[in-house]
Parts: sequence; C-alpha cells; structure tokens
Amino acid sequence: MAKTVINVGNISKSFGKVRAVCELSFSVEAGSCYGFLGPNGAGKTTVMKMIYGKCTRDKKPAGLMDIFGYDPASNELAIKYLSGVVQQENNLDDELNVAQNLMIYSKFYNMPAKNARGRIGYLLDFFELSDKTKSKIKELSGGMKRRLVIARALLNSPKLLILDEPTTGLDPQVRHLIWEKIRQLQKQHTTVLLTTHYMEEAFQLCDQLLIMHKGRKIMEGRPADLLEKNIEEYVLEILDTELIKPECHDVLQNNIRIEDTPGVMRYYSNDMDALKDFAGTALDSGNYLIRQTNLEDVFLHATGRQLDDKQ
Amino acid sequence: MINSDTIQYPPLHLRLYSVWYRHMRVYTKNLLSNGFPPFLEPLIFLAGVGLGLGKYITEPMGGVKYIEFLGTGLLVTTAMFTSAFECSFGTFIRLEYEKVYDGMLAAPMTVNNLIVGEMIWAGTKGFFFSFAVLCILSVFKIVALPYGLLAPFVGFLTGVMFASISLLVTSFVKTINHFNFYFTGFISPMFFFSGVVFPIENLPGFIRPAAELVPLTHSVRLVRAICTNHYEPILLADMLYIAVFIILIGFLAIHRLKKRLVN
Repeated sequence: MAKTVINVGNISKSFGKVRAVCELSFSVEAGSCYGFLGPNGAGKTTVMKMIYGKCTRDKKPAGLMDIFGYDPASNELAIKYLSGVVQQENNLDDELNVAQNLMIYSKFYNMPAKNARGRIGYLLDFFELSDKTKSKIKELSGGMKRRLVIARALLNSPKLLILDEPTTGLDPQVRHLIWEKIRQLQKQHTTVLLTTHYMEEAFQLCDQLLIMHKGRKIMEGRPADLLEKNIEEYVLEILDTELIKPECHDVLQNNIRIEDTPGVMRYYSNDMDALKDFAGTALDSGNYLIRQTNLEDVFLHATGRQLDDKQ
Repeated sequence: MINSDTIQYPPLHLRLYSVWYRHMRVYTKNLLSNGFPPFLEPLIFLAGVGLGLGKYITEPMGGVKYIEFLGTGLLVTTAMFTSAFECSFGTFIRLEYEKVYDGMLAAPMTVNNLIVGEMIWAGTKGFFFSFAVLCILSVFKIVALPYGLLAPFVGFLTGVMFASISLLVTSFVKTINHFNFYFTGFISPMFFFSGVVFPIENLPGFIRPAAELVPLTHSVRLVRAICTNHYEPILLADMLYIAVFIILIGFLAIHRLKKRLVN
C-alpha cells in the first residue's frame, strides 16, 4: 500500500454564518488521483484553497491538516513550493506573452533561468503549445489558456498537483488531451487533487472519489465501488410521462425502484429484462431508454435533484 | 514525511525580488510609452512657468527663483502621482479584474511578500520618475549637480509612502470609481497645499498644521534641502515622519489587504 501524503481530519470553514466546509476528513495516497465531486457551492474549491493556504480553516474545531508533512497554517510556503495549483480562473498575466508568463512564474520558485528555459520548452511541448510561445494571452483560445495554466502549475515539477475544475467549459478534444496529460503525470508519481462536477471526468481520472454536498462528505470510495454500492445497475427513463399507463404501477415488480421527477420517470433495477418487460406493459408507444447507471445517477440520488440557493 | 531540509523554497529577499521583477518586466514591456512621459511632463511644467507664469512671479520664493522652487517640488510630486496610481488603480485591477494576485499566491509567497514587493516596486517607480525630472532640471541648470543626485532617493521614499496609503485606500474600495474621491480629495489638494507650488508658510495659520500632517510636505522639505544643499534640524523630524508613516500605514494596508486575499 502506498503511503499517505495528505491527511485531513475534521476541518471546517465558515464564512460568517455560512458553513462552507463542515467537519471534513479524508486522506490521499502518494501518486493517486483524489477527486472531489459536488454541485456548485458544495465547498470543493474551499477545500483546495485550505490546502494551499489561500483560505484558513476554522480554529474551532481546529482539526488536522498534514500535507506532505506540513500544516498550511504554519508552513504554507513549503506546501506551495512542492505543489502546483490550477485555480478555477485562468489568471494569466495578460500583459506578458506565453513564454514570459512562465518565465516570470519560474522566478517565484527561484529557478535558475537556464533550467527554467529548458523546463518551459518541455512543458509547452508537452501541452502542444510550442508554436504559441510568443503569442499574447489574448490571442489564445480558452483551451490553450487552460493548458498554459496547467503548464505553469507544473513548472517546479510538483509532487502535488491541485486542479480546481480543470476542464470546465472546454470542448471534448481539449478535455481528453488534458485527461491524457494528467494520466501521464500520475505515471510519474504526481499526486493529484481534482475538483469537478463532470462525472465522466471523475470516473476517468480518479482512484478515489469524495462526493460533497453542502460542505459535508456524503460518500467516498473508488468510483466503480460507489456505483456498485449505491445504485442499481440499469435505469429505464421515460420522457413522455403522460403516456404511461397508470395501472402498470400496480403490477410493478419489487426489484424495480421508481423515481418520479418533473418530466421524467425513472425506473432503476439490476435486472435489465425486468425493465424491458415493464417498458412493454407501461407504454403502448413512445420513447424510452434503458441504459447503464452512471456516477451522475449516484450523484443526483445522493445530493437530490433540486437546486439549492448556492447553485 | 519529507525531510524539511529538502524543501528549499526561496528566502525572503528572493521572494520580494520576484514580485518586484514581475512588475518591472510588465512595466518595461512598453518601454517607450511608459518611459517617455516622465521626461516630458516636467518639460511641460517648466515651459509653462518659463514662458508664462514666471513673468508674473518675479519675487524669489522660499529664497530661490520660482522656477527652481517649483522644479524641485516636481521631483517628489511626480513620485507621488506614479506611486498613487500604481497602488490604487493598478493594484485594484490586479486584485479584482485580472486576478494576477491569485495566480501569484499559488506560488511560494505570502500575502505579506506580495504587498511589500508591491511597495518596493512603487518606490522604484518613484525613484525613476524623480530621476527623470532631475535629468530635465539639470539640463536646464535649475538644479546643480552633484547635490541633486540624492533627490531620486527621496523619490523612492515618497513612492513607498504613497504606496502604503494607496494600498490602504484600495483595501476599502469596492468599485474602481471610488478612487476618484481619493485623487480629488487627497492627492490633488496635496499637490497645491504641501509647499510645492507656494511655501506653506503663506498658508493661513489654522491650515498650517494640516499641511504638516500630510506626507508630501515632508518629502518636499527634504528634497529642497538636498537640491539647495541647505540642511536644517527640522529635516530629522521629516525623516522620522516618513519612517513612521511607512511602517504604520504599510502595516495597516497589509493587514487589511490580507483579509481580502486570504479568506
């Protein structure tokens, strides 16, 4: 078993009366990718900020934070030195070009200029940005900016990479490229912390997943285990709910669970044939879909389908 | 557990230097548009005085010709203006619009490092702007060298003073338009009532103490003493004022901006 490099116990964060993070605990093994999944306002970003010292945790309860042997409250510089952080916003320096952005940032780590130039060349190549070396930031697309921000986070060859919604708003090509790069970094034993609200991203990248809602952990585990343990294998979705024969619910087998939401009826079961039979009896005509359940179903099942006031 | 010996994050002076270096690189990127006006501005002022205003002001002011009186004052007002703009509008834009600070704070540096680096940079700009005015003044033989060579150092101190007060103001500002109050209500009056345009001795008695309270008065007195090579004991009080002002206001500015940068 790999050793634990991040150990967080019972930490909380309040902004005034709002509790953004509530008695959260988790631990991360070296070289793994640990994901935080949750709706907007769940507290994911706040947890990331607490790790690299942009946010201070509540003093009561003080809890415990051990990030590679350091506590952000007393040793934020050491943590920042061994981490690379990709924040939610692309905060590049618009006044500098691509290479200058990285060069200035390398100064923050006190990298010798020669090493920095070599590293910058490597990273621009790694993220397929070599031909943009001299471009202005304003000339870059959203996907290029994002790749550049990730490259910037990797300048000092971090042991820990913190990615706060790395692919939000990007097209599928860029997203897949970034995933591929993150997997490559993991092979080089970089520990990755990731927040996302894309279930597929979580499923593709994360070894461990923590689902957060309203500042609290609601479940944690390997993505596949979370699916297996928390939801049936298949779901039947019927969009034309008015076409469903009301009497069919009377004969519903007990291995089928109903979820009634406005506009869609969902029937969950581990037995695909049962769902097929049911669809036949419930509908004379009309559309239905039987598919495998995914993390999104687990997520919505766990966090509820209603929006709360922070979303 | 990593041995703490292996974590060699940059020491304090290099962290401050890296902040300063970032600002210097951004500033020198547009060298012509950033570097030329500091030389042009005093020329315009001196032309205005030489061609027009000077004819009406024939009496010596503060014991020197008017053009010398005003010219030596410009050595520090230019530092005041550049630093005040840099640490109000400039800082606010980096803080709120461009989020440059957020990016920098993900690197190994603290908010303190960031703000102190900012102040040192504003002081450097003050030095440079003072130096530009000094070049013009020496070309026209308004200030005699070598005494005047110390003037840019007063420009540096003036820059740091106005950086600290501007950063403190910025820490309160919610929208960028609020800076209008700061410039119209504080910076502009200081230009007129701190002994730059006329000696503060000519101010009505009840306003004089107010002139002694504001920072620019002390910079002006110091820089005039340097340019005329005429030193008096009151300059010690001026230097003490500058030191206390920087430490006190700078401390408050850091304290307040920290709350804004680290939640």
